[in-house]
Amino acid sequence: MKTLARRAETVAWESETKARIAELKYAFYLIRQNPLVLSGLVLVVFFISLSLIATLLVNPVDAVKLDFARSYCWDSRLYSWTPQEASCPTGTNYILGTDGFGRDLLSMIILAIPLDLSIALVVVAIATAIGVLLGSVAGWVGGKFDEAVLRVTDIFLSFPSMVLALVFAALFGHTIQTLTFAVVLVWWPTYVRLTRGQVLGEKEKPYVDALKNLGASPARIVLFHIIPNSIYPVIVQMSLDIGGVILNFSALIFLGFSPSPTLPELGNLAADGINRVFTAPWLIVFPGLTILVIALAFNFVGDGVRDILDPRLRR
Amino acid sequence: MKIYEYVIRRLALMIFVLFGVSAIVFYLARGFPSAFAPWAQYVTSRMTAAQVQNIIHQHGFDQPLITQYWYWLLDVFHGDWGYSNWANGFPTFQVFSSRFPYTVELTIAAVILALVIGIPLGILSAMKNNTAADHAARIIALAGYSTPAYWFAYILQLFFFYYFYVWGLPNLPSSGAISQNLSGTVPTLTGMPILDGLIAGNWSYTADGFAHLILPAFSLAFISLGYLARIVRASMLEVLRQDYIIMARSKGLTERVVIYRHAFRNALIPAMTLTGLYIAGLLGGAIVTETVFSWPGVGYIALRAIFQGDSNFLLLYCLVTALIIVVSNLVVDVMYAFLDPRIKY
Repeated sequence: MKTLARRAETVAWESETKARIAELKYAFYLIRQNPLVLSGLVLVVFFISLSLIATLLVNPVDAVKLDFARSYCWDSRLYSWTPQEASCPTGTNYILGTDGFGRDLLSMIILAIPLDLSIALVVVAIATAIGVLLGSVAGWVGGKFDEAVLRVTDIFLSFPSMVLALVFAALFGHTIQTLTFAVVLVWWPTYVRLTRGQVLGEKEKPYVDALKNLGASPARIVLFHIIPNSIYPVIVQMSLDIGGVILNFSALIFLGFSPSPTLPELGNLAADGINRVFTAPWLIVFPGLTILVIALAFNFVGDGVRDILDPRLRR
Repeated sequence: MKIYEYVIRRLALMIFVLFGVSAIVFYLARGFPSAFAPWAQYVTSRMTAAQVQNIIHQHGFDQPLITQYWYWLLDVFHGDWGYSNWANGFPTFQVFSSRFPYTVELTIAAVILALVIGIPLGILSAMKNNTAADHAARIIALAGYSTPAYWFAYILQLFFFYYFYVWGLPNLPSSGAISQNLSGTVPTLTGMPILDGLIAGNWSYTADGFAHLILPAFSLAFISLGYLARIVRASMLEVLRQDYIIMARSKGLTERVVIYRHAFRNALIPAMTLTGLYIAGLLGGAIVTETVFSWPGVGYIALRAIFQGDSNFLLLYCLVTALIIVVSNLVVDVMYAFLDPRIKY
């Protein structure tokens, strides 16, 4: 009897998987048709490969050496910023100028991209793990547990944006770990809500009844059937949030929670330029522009994929 | 469920949420060795350690946290929010209420701007679906929510304050809500510079307040109009596929009438929801924008309160903003039922 049930479940799995693959193929076809998603994908691949080879392009030891004789200098012929920009020592060529510590800004940005990307990935991964776990259990079990989880997310979602992260960072010190955790603190309730909503919809479908009748355990149904079937919106949300997390993390650092003034992180590089906005504008312009382009790339992908996966928006 | 039962249930949940928010902030702000010292405003540098201990004991700051929370709650129910050590010991509530109108002014301006830009952008995007115009509108919208708020604020300052000055153009002010030489020249009634100037009939004051408002309001609006444009686009696309639109078209109505009389009105419902939530979020004070523009609203002070360990201000700030957020959630949900009779509770 048990083997029969197992076989029936395998058949169910196969047909689900087949449907998923067909769905994916169609989605890929639509992605190819959409210029925004395509350009977003190209940029995402570019930034990921750039962060993989960042330490090959820039020597991480030499590049971060401080040399105050060269601080805030601009000798690129691209553009002349202000009437009063400092000139560099002869024989150098800094395409994007130097920062307050006399380091080449372009090298700093290249070194900062992997850090920001990996922090964003960690935050989104932790938030998703918490969200999928709590959300799917709450959606499946329902009742008091569901109510309790909902109320707790209510409380967290009622905080003014980022205040919780700011307070947390102020209390527990300005290390990358605490800042990362502070951003997770703001982000996890969204994923709980999202997963719960998906699971609630999925739970009522006939295949779940079929699986129950086959004798599959609740853990098995949730883990192997419901979660895979309701994960797409979560993945879309993840790709949309990577940009948002980078924005928020760098904003935390920018607002004064920097672990160290010399840390090559995009928000930190920009924060270095606050007091020199009008005399060394490149310091704030280029790191911020990098954040904008990274966030835009992930948002292009996430936004387009959301439209593609939403059957109501298909033509 | 009747609508009033629904509202009562939601009000009960609201009280629960407010308790939760205050408990979390209280625990964070006072419950750790590194926590903000609430006795700081009673202590001067000339006091001995024993005197400081005495003060801590007198005010009950050595009691268990739960007892302290209970005393705080009792005080709050008596309307006593304590003193703010950020503001050198002024009553917290007075500090908050004198700064809140600035945030309200900035929020209203930003919301108007976001609506005026975001809604047409969304409609354009939906009407010209999958054309170059659609892509352009979507890029603007996505750029809005991919832009670091602090960065955009500084870029605006760089151009409209500094470069306009360098190029000899009339530049916009980059910080504050009113010029130093004008502040205090009109009586403070509402606390909002523009409105106060209008009431007093002082045009130069009003114009100055308006000039100060432009950059912060635009920077706030730009980072949030993307959400609005997106929602309008999605709901417009959804509505345009409905049967009644086909019906309207087949009746021979012109495209204008179909779009504006039939589709647009229905598509606005979700946009209205979002606007409600967005206003709620902004009334909490856009901390980043207010900080960069030194806009004297509550968000600007909240950041200072965090840095200076002003737990009283932080508690009041978090509670008021949480209250605004939950109330507007409720209002939006109820309005939804009025605007769309298909929705039942």
